[in-house]
Amino acid sequence: MGHSIRSDPLDVKSVLGVVPQDIALYEDLTARENLTFWGKMYGLRGAALKARVNEMLDIIGLRDRANERVGKYSGGMKRRVNIGVALLHKPKVIYLDEPTVGIDPQSRRNILDSVVALKNEGMTVLYTSHYMEEAQELSDHIAIMDHGKLIACGTHEELVKLVGQRTRIDLTLNVEASRVLGSWQTVEGVARVSAEEGTISVLVEDSNRVLPRLFEAATRLSARITSVDIREPNLEAVFLHLTGRALRD
Amino acid sequence: MKALDIALKDMTRSFRSAFAVIFMFGIPLLVTGMFYFMFGNIASGGEFNLPKTKVVIANLDEGGPKFQVSTKNIPGSRDADTMGELVVAGLQSEEMADLIEVSFARGAEAARAAVDRQEAQVAIIIPADFSRQFADLDGKAVIEFYQDPTLTIGPGIIRLILNRFMDGMSGVKIAVNVFLDEADTQAYALAGQVVRQYLDISLAQTENLEEVLLDVRAPASAPANDSAESPNLLLRIVSPIMGGMLVFYAFFTGTSTAQSILKEEEERTLPRLFTTPTPQATILSGKFLAVFLTVLVQVVVLLVAARLIFGIQWGDFLPAALTAVGTVFSASSFGIFVNSFLKNTRQGGVLFGGVLTMTGMIGMIGIFAMNSPAAARLGDTVSLLVPQGWAVHGLLQAMNGQPVTSVLTTALVMLAWSATFFAIGVWRFNKRYA
Repeated sequence: MGHSIRSDPLDVKSVLGVVPQDIALYEDLTARENLTFWGKMYGLRGAALKARVNEMLDIIGLRDRANERVGKYSGGMKRRVNIGVALLHKPKVIYLDEPTVGIDPQSRRNILDSVVALKNEGMTVLYTSHYMEEAQELSDHIAIMDHGKLIACGTHEELVKLVGQRTRIDLTLNVEASRVLGSWQTVEGVARVSAEEGTISVLVEDSNRVLPRLFEAATRLSARITSVDIREPNLEAVFLHLTGRALRD
Repeated sequence: MKALDIALKDMTRSFRSAFAVIFMFGIPLLVTGMFYFMFGNIASGGEFNLPKTKVVIANLDEGGPKFQVSTKNIPGSRDADTMGELVVAGLQSEEMADLIEVSFARGAEAARAAVDRQEAQVAIIIPADFSRQFADLDGKAVIEFYQDPTLTIGPGIIRLILNRFMDGMSGVKIAVNVFLDEADTQAYALAGQVVRQYLDISLAQTENLEEVLLDVRAPASAPANDSAESPNLLLRIVSPIMGGMLVFYAFFTGTSTAQSILKEEEERTLPRLFTTPTPQATILSGKFLAVFLTVLVQVVVLLVAARLIFGIQWGDFLPAALTAVGTVFSASSFGIFVNSFLKNTRQGGVLFGGVLTMTGMIGMIGIFAMNSPAAARLGDTVSLLVPQGWAVHGLLQAMNGQPVTSVLTTALVMLAWSATFFAIGVWRFNKRYA
């Protein structure tokens, strides 16, 4: 963008839109008043501001309820206003911090569609999420962070290659996972086994071949498999591969 | 411009809060209104009304050595041939007509019986030798005071009147004694003039008996001039209370509004503001401006409302304005200062319950002690330890018509408080968000 965050912080902020994870709005003001105020903070004034606020109310689908106080809105509606605030000044880069946390599926779909639309308009979108399917759907480039450190970065295809074409099988047992872990690690075709909160995740080359062997091994150890979930290679598998743990908050 | 936008946004939020509006305007006016109705009523035009005390008088005074007093200074302008008649004339004066309903009994027993039958609340029995005892330099003139024991205020007023009168008479005796000790025998003929002169002075001082009896006045200081006195007693009671309420709640509003900085931090809107292309100094300036403007609106509205509703005289425009400005600055900067020491709004409960209430009460201590001169003097001194005390002091100065220079001094002290509070508060907030 041609600006230094150190020497020109205000110039950088003027091309940046931020959508915080928590709703950061004035609940005792209406949606229109919120958008108008934040628009002024981004330097918009007069007729341009008014027009942009109306435009944004249309974009977030709240034109007919624009004069209601935000405190009376549902969680999804607040999220939409929260995003609308960051888009008022047409930023070149928008940063969305987990914008779909705790909202209903309909609002979530609305937000995801909006992000895709922004991307298609040429805006750079920086999107953080715990939902790998969101990252997979929205992103051209994905960065995986763990404990505050960047552990992988690339396109979806590049990241999946990190775990090869392995399939992840999640299983639950009627006994402690520790009883079978050692045995399953020696099963032919198993690349890696890990357990967390009662679920055992097994990375395999071919689930059709390996799954019967896992059942046999469990039977030998008097353990019964109570559920099986087969997942083709995806970002979650990548994360599991890289960190050895399932995703957490 | 952005600072003003932030301030206007904050003010919109403040004035939309029913809780804030009630505390800003409702409670101060309500408390003052309660006192207003306790001490009078609007329907009667703000006059101070007490029920009349029924007094039955048995004047048995047979007179003594002839004396004449200057009747022009005896309430009711009546001639009095005896001391007993002088007492009766005083009690029947026009000034006392609103307080006392006088009737007469033939004898002492009849007067006492009237009280026993609750036909009167007080019996005043002037003995037959009252004038003689008074005329005797070594004698003791005594009036019997017989009252309904279940009553306090009415009989108390009558007792006070009589005490004043008897004090005056005692003064006459002392004056005559001194005169006779000092003068030679040829000058004894002037004794009558000494008595007359003394009565002229002492009775003239008690012309406005109603005011003397109730002895109600502004707490902080005596009025500087008569023209600035409140038009009636009710206002003299209510005005300082309204002034105290205004100051107390202005500081409450200053602190409460300044808390919006912490509230916005918790609502995450303040961090979001910092992500906009708005300098931190502008954001904080906007927040501080909001506090100042909110308190300003509150103070102006309360001043005007109190004038319109209760008829309170705030004094001349310039002194009142100086005090109001000083109050607004000190209340808003005090709020910023105090909040700069808080980690979060939860600590605000302790703040409001402790610091604000305590300093507010200290600031108003002079008003609470208004009927006790010694306590009032001490209270005035103690109250100046806190900014609220200076604000109350300034308001009372303006109300009492003190000169602009005096009020200006008080306002300058308030501005000095403000500058200190503001500097510390701004420094701490800047440090916090740096």
